[in-house]
Amino acid sequence: MNEISADSFDINEYLRLELFPHFLCPGCGHGMAMRAMLWAVAELGIDKDNLAIVSGIGCSGRMGAYVDANTFHVTHGRPLAFATGLKLARPDLTVIVITGDGDSLAIGGNHLIHACRRNLDITCLMLNNEIYGMTGGQVSPTTTLTRFTTTTPYGNYEPAFDACRLAEAAGASFVGREATLQVPTLKNLIREGIEHKGFSFLEVISDCTEIYGRKNALGNSPEMVLSQKSKMRPESYGGLMSNKVDQPFRPNPFQTGVLARNERQEYGELCRRHIAAKQQAE
Amino acid sequence: MTKHLEIRLSGSGGQGLLLSARILAQAFASEGASVSQSQSYEPTSRGGLSRADLVIDGVRPDFPLAEKLDYLLVLHQCAAGASDEIINDDMTALIDSELVTEPPAGKFKVKALPLTRTAREIGNVRIANIVALGALAGLSRMIDRERLEDTVRKGVPPKFLDLNLEALEAGYRLAEESRDN
Amino acid sequence: MSKQRLQNIPGNHACALGAVAAGCRFYAGYPITPSSEVAERMSAELPKVGGMFVQMEDEIASMGAVIGASMGGVKAMTATSGPGFSLKQENLGYAAQAEIPCVIINVMRGGPSTGMPTRPAQGDIMQARWGTHGDHPIIVVAPDSVAEIYSETIRAFALSERLRVPVVVLYDEVVGHLIETVDLQPAPEEQLASRKWAEGPREGFLPYRADADMVPPFPRPGDGFRTHTTGLTHDENGFPTQAHERVEAVIGRLLGKLDRHKELIESYEAVGCEDAEVIVTAIGISARAAKKAVATARKNGIKAGLFRPITLWPFPEEAFRKLSAGASAVVVPEMNAGQLALELERFAPGKVSALTRYDGEHIDPSQILKRIEEVLS
Repeated sequence: MNEISADSFDINEYLRLELFPHFLCPGCGHGMAMRAMLWAVAELGIDKDNLAIVSGIGCSGRMGAYVDANTFHVTHGRPLAFATGLKLARPDLTVIVITGDGDSLAIGGNHLIHACRRNLDITCLMLNNEIYGMTGGQVSPTTTLTRFTTTTPYGNYEPAFDACRLAEAAGASFVGREATLQVPTLKNLIREGIEHKGFSFLEVISDCTEIYGRKNALGNSPEMVLSQKSKMRPESYGGLMSNKVDQPFRPNPFQTGVLARNERQEYGELCRRHIAAKQQAE
Repeated sequence: MTKHLEIRLSGSGGQGLLLSARILAQAFASEGASVSQSQSYEPTSRGGLSRADLVIDGVRPDFPLAEKLDYLLVLHQCAAGASDEIINDDMTALIDSELVTEPPAGKFKVKALPLTRTAREIGNVRIANIVALGALAGLSRMIDRERLEDTVRKGVPPKFLDLNLEALEAGYRLAEESRDN
Repeated sequence: MSKQRLQNIPGNHACALGAVAAGCRFYAGYPITPSSEVAERMSAELPKVGGMFVQMEDEIASMGAVIGASMGGVKAMTATSGPGFSLKQENLGYAAQAEIPCVIINVMRGGPSTGMPTRPAQGDIMQARWGTHGDHPIIVVAPDSVAEIYSETIRAFALSERLRVPVVVLYDEVVGHLIETVDLQPAPEEQLASRKWAEGPREGFLPYRADADMVPPFPRPGDGFRTHTTGLTHDENGFPTQAHERVEAVIGRLLGKLDRHKELIESYEAVGCEDAEVIVTAIGISARAAKKAVATARKNGIKAGLFRPITLWPFPEEAFRKLSAGASAVVVPEMNAGQLALELERFAPGKVSALTRYDGEHIDPSQILKRIEEVLS
């Protein structure tokens, strides 16, 4: 691994430039998340030929197509299921899953908790924009209370998931959260997640300015991103996140950085050891 | 050439009939016969009607399910009325004299033998399935005795082998005694 | 037959053994009656040959993992029954669209919904063809004996790999649990081949540009092709398109490739059809009953024949039309409310007599014989 400075990182090497301009809205956080991810990949020196990106459905799901790697855009909520098969069949590949809050916490919630439990060596990037952007802005499992979406026209009254606590409780051996505001910090977290042998769950706060921001008068893109920082205040967290889940997510502060790290047996290793033992016995 | 035979072992779930059927099927297959075995069971693992059917032939039969029985074993009252569609006058029924109080009705031959009681006397009521297997084989002479014993030897855990062989022997004895009557 | 190799095994075990013999090295599944013995046997067999077995969190994930493993280049399979088959339809459509080889076993039980878990049925004939949304290619094979479950599972892998299409092995609970004496042979050499791998220049490679056989070579991850795979309608380059003239071409190829390979795919058994006045057509345990009924009818001087589709979908239409042309009636015994009969009505209009049963019991040869006599009188 070698550090690459922001100036010398050439993202173009990792993109399918022929597909540009990309389809993400101006100001969307996902582009920053993608930059951070590819920067981490570059620093780790991962060969693009051996990099597999598996993504689901939604704005996050479309990101994979722009990466010059083996990219699989699968069904809604199922990227972790597909990735489980792919990684078990091909442990030689670096497998990164890109998913969203709806993809992984609603329709794919079952796959997420079981992926955490198994602890297969996959890095899961959940881009949390608190909304179903691709379908036009419906409420999601992470939408802040009182916020307006197309299906909460009078304000959201459903409590939200704290995805990181969910992942940790389900057994993910590496859990972290960062926002798109600080791309180098996010890059470092993703790099650590990829390096970690086991299942890494990384939540990325990635704003939807076009729908969510507009509907809730959260300001333009730079304003929204800047408010990520002013409201983050990680030092104010003692771990009592449960009190905060039922409260408006923002401007409430949220904890960032590496939130959990557990040394557990990696699932693929367990499988291969089981097979080797059986073959030896035969 | 192997004769076409249709056999049903029926009783209550947990009486071990599927194991008896498997042993009998294995014995026939080791003779070079083609065996078709089917079973019906309730969604629960214990209790309720349980049955296993064997269709024996020289070659794989067109239709592998029993249509006209040659032998019927009824080891529990709950199975007594479960074979009405395939019982017939030409067959032989072996029933447990203790657990089957109302045997299936018909003009066929019925042998009522104390299968479960014999198992209890041997020391384990759960071995009634093997006593029944011995009795059925003894009555019908459908399969070579040594071959059947050999299959039991190969098919049951060593720990229970003596018990199983004793039960099989007891079944054959019951058949012999009933022949004398 | 060598007596040493003879064994008494249930259909579901023959299926697992067939898969392993075919080179299947990945299984993902979820427990469901009456198919669970397939998973149980796979969990015992796969480690012996270095294969992976994983019991997933649900039916959807099982299908996803199977496709994921196959995307990695490994032959993969899952097994289920009606309720699980419904859940698999979503990702099954993905496999059809993205052309990822995979084999799905469906052991049919009574439905609809949870239905009768331990009782047999043949109610998924139409679901196997049309269960997932949109026009899509799919192959369904329908074995009727333990030995044929073994050989058809092998053939399912061969077809799936050769044509990059999902293949369903469809049989009922009776055949799945039926134990028969079998003599299992190694898979035929010509049915062992994996899919055609992409080779040649990486630059400008188009992952969905088909060869003359209408099947595109498969770019194995790690081989440097770095392609995109999606369930969106995609152009030859693998990327999404909604341009109608391109969509027509790419979906046209997808739907047309099975037609191109009809001879390879089609398989059926015809007994005494040439001079038959009445033809019986059935699958699974109903076909076994039909076989006996037809043989008995012949003994009784009735000109009866059996037409049994081994490849159920695409239905061997031409052969059936030809063989049934001279018959005055087609009897269709099936354990559902008339699904196969509905299809056959298209090929033999006015001649079809459906013999249906959906009470969780099989159809007896005597019932079929009676119907044969009735349609001729």
